[in-house]
Amino acid sequence: MAVPVSEPASRVRPVSARHFVRLKLRVMGNNFRGQSWRAALFVIGSLIGLWIAIGAFFGLAAPGLAGEGRYALLVAAFAGGLTVLGWLLLPLVFFGVDETLDPARFALLPLSRRTLVTGLFAAALVSVPTIAVLVALSGLVVTAGVLGGWVAATVGALGVLSGLFLCVAAARAVTSAFATMLRSRRVRDLAAVLLAVAAALLGPLQIAGLAAIQDTDWDRLSGVATVIGWTPLGAPWTAGIDVAQGRAWAAAPKLLITAVTIAALLAWWSRSLESAMVGAASTGPARGKPQVSGGAVAQLFPRVTGRLRRNRFGALVARDARYWWRDARRRANLITIAVVGLFVPVMVNLGGQGFTLDSEQGFSLTGDTSPLLVSLSMLFVGLLAAMTLANQFGFDGSAYAANVIAGVPGRLELQARMVAFSLYVLPMLAVVAVVMALILGEPTWIGFMAGTLVATYGAGLAVNSFVSVFGAYSLPETSNPFAMNSGAGVTKSLLALLAMVATAAAAVPAVVAAALLGDAWLWLGLPLGVGYGVGAALLGGYLAGDALDRRQPELLSTVTPRR
Amino acid sequence: MTGEHPALALRGLAKRFDDKIAVAGVDLDVPAGSFYGLLGPNGAGKTTTLSMAVGLLRPNAGSAWVLGHDVWANPVEAKRLFGVMPDGVRLFDRLNGAELLAYHGLLRGMDPAVVDQRAAELLDVLALADAGRTLVVDYSAGMKKKIGLACALLHGPRLLVLDEPFEAVDPVSAALIRDILQRYVAGGGTVVFSSHVMEVVQRLCSHVAILAGGTIKRVGTLEEVRGARSLEEVFVEVVGGRTATGQELSWLSR
Repeated sequence: MAVPVSEPASRVRPVSARHFVRLKLRVMGNNFRGQSWRAALFVIGSLIGLWIAIGAFFGLAAPGLAGEGRYALLVAAFAGGLTVLGWLLLPLVFFGVDETLDPARFALLPLSRRTLVTGLFAAALVSVPTIAVLVALSGLVVTAGVLGGWVAATVGALGVLSGLFLCVAAARAVTSAFATMLRSRRVRDLAAVLLAVAAALLGPLQIAGLAAIQDTDWDRLSGVATVIGWTPLGAPWTAGIDVAQGRAWAAAPKLLITAVTIAALLAWWSRSLESAMVGAASTGPARGKPQVSGGAVAQLFPRVTGRLRRNRFGALVARDARYWWRDARRRANLITIAVVGLFVPVMVNLGGQGFTLDSEQGFSLTGDTSPLLVSLSMLFVGLLAAMTLANQFGFDGSAYAANVIAGVPGRLELQARMVAFSLYVLPMLAVVAVVMALILGEPTWIGFMAGTLVATYGAGLAVNSFVSVFGAYSLPETSNPFAMNSGAGVTKSLLALLAMVATAAAAVPAVVAAALLGDAWLWLGLPLGVGYGVGAALLGGYLAGDALDRRQPELLSTVTPRR
Repeated sequence: MTGEHPALALRGLAKRFDDKIAVAGVDLDVPAGSFYGLLGPNGAGKTTTLSMAVGLLRPNAGSAWVLGHDVWANPVEAKRLFGVMPDGVRLFDRLNGAELLAYHGLLRGMDPAVVDQRAAELLDVLALADAGRTLVVDYSAGMKKKIGLACALLHGPRLLVLDEPFEAVDPVSAALIRDILQRYVAGGGTVVFSSHVMEVVQRLCSHVAILAGGTIKRVGTLEEVRGARSLEEVFVEVVGGRTATGQELSWLSR
């Protein structure tokens, strides 16, 4: 009767990281089963990634192969630093993280946190991007080896490996922490600010890049490289080069810096992981406010929709507009657009100039930018904004069934979604145009900047309507807005690339006009750009709507997550 | 005109997923005004069949007719006539109950004033009015079923297709749902629902079909299918189950 409460756990075989890796590979394999096109996309994407990686490999090995030792540290510090920053920021801004192994699934298993974190970390290491980065940055090992022999090569290899670990740990820790923050209503706004800061880091990156191109002062650059080499950004990558160049004493502390950083990141990750696991069980207290005002229809329509007709179209717009705010995944996308949309143009147009002036005559905002450069940066913003809709049906998941059952016509569906999204995006684009004009001190440029923005955005809506109908994929039903299904990352990148190229091509007239028309474009830009954008969006919705009518059930099954 | 047509007619519906045949040719006639139970064990193809019948999943072969309208050839007409509560499909659950009903009503082309009035009534009857502004995602399982039913009923369809309406519903809510459905049928509507709860089917249905392994095994009125036995006996016999003999799982007792 009296069962001992704490029976010694006998013969429990320890769970090692190996199990997690095998589980991940098995899940990935099963996801591709019977979906040959997805497997094919995965293979193609992987090959492209590998091809780029091999190119980068030779680029990084070049200082060694060419015997140009003085560039070695520079290349290692900048390339390595950019890689770490990329791993840190890109998952937040563009790609999300592969969550083949959803931490919440392990919540009920008797696993210690240490086992779980090491296991998930090991599983995260098994992915195409990590392999690509490993291949690319192995070039540094070659450089170290050629310049300094076997010892340097060994230290270099150790450095590159630990650097890769650092990248993966950083990506996991940051996305997990942000996911936790975006879930909680109280710190949601704080998370938005932090994301802004993260995106602002793109700025220094731009500055460094532009400065490197403009500045032929190698001494100062290598000074910067030396400093970067002592931060976690550059420490792992430069250790091997240091040994090769006779600074063997520096290798050990640099590897130590890396190890400490990895440990700290993993500890951080493990803390937010716990809340992610618990958070999946309960999404927090109900936000019920007992009093209800107005009828059902009045409640559905948010204030931003104004006096929209209370009909089918209005309902679609109102629902989608509510979703852009209430769905954490969509909201994260909106925040990204707002932040990147502001920072990138500012940095592109001021970045290089501001930096070089910085050292000589203090900080000054007199970038000598051209309408062409401004147009290009506006094109990027419009493109980025429209790209958010590339998987608009994936956001809905199986809930899209409601629209299929109601038999919503495809054109109506796509137009309503464009309008709802534009309710948020157009004001943002207006702010971008105004802020840019103020910063550049060229108030007359507002017109053509806004025109270019709207033209690109409209063309992007058209292109992405097609992408969303034909290239939809399901998103996992987790609470992490950055989570991606396995394999979807590659698909997403390919589709995004395709959509970006198509959108850019469709928006080329705006840039050409900026280059050719000269001053006339300052005045014609706004009406022509808006006309072009609206026309493109309408045409895209019209054509893609027909396609949607024909494949509603197929679209529903592609966006329904498999359980 | 629709009097002579069955409320729902399936002809040779078949669906194959990769190498697995989920539904292997289902023929079914649901008479108008009937309360039709589609019985079957887990994985029998109930959800697949119903999804194909309402236009959510394209069949590999066969056709589905709702009151004389082909669901796949003429979806607009057919979809106007039925209401659906799918199972395992999310609602637009970042809306609250009233917003969700308003969305469904307007999507069906209803007049806003009618939507308001019916939504208030449905929320009241289904005891969801207290939930107020609570988002549907935060509803309990039973409340989600009820709001799903409300969405399907809102536009006053002639045919209701419900997938597992009594799954994960507590007895109080189940009784409420039963009452509403019985009233709906008494008022001339037709209900088709899938279930594997014998007790509910036996109490509610006028007609029953037993689906197993993707084909219809038994079909007819409740009396025809059941005969002198209980429905559960017939079901287990048709489906063919096994019971634990006591030899296995000895480690469960200590």
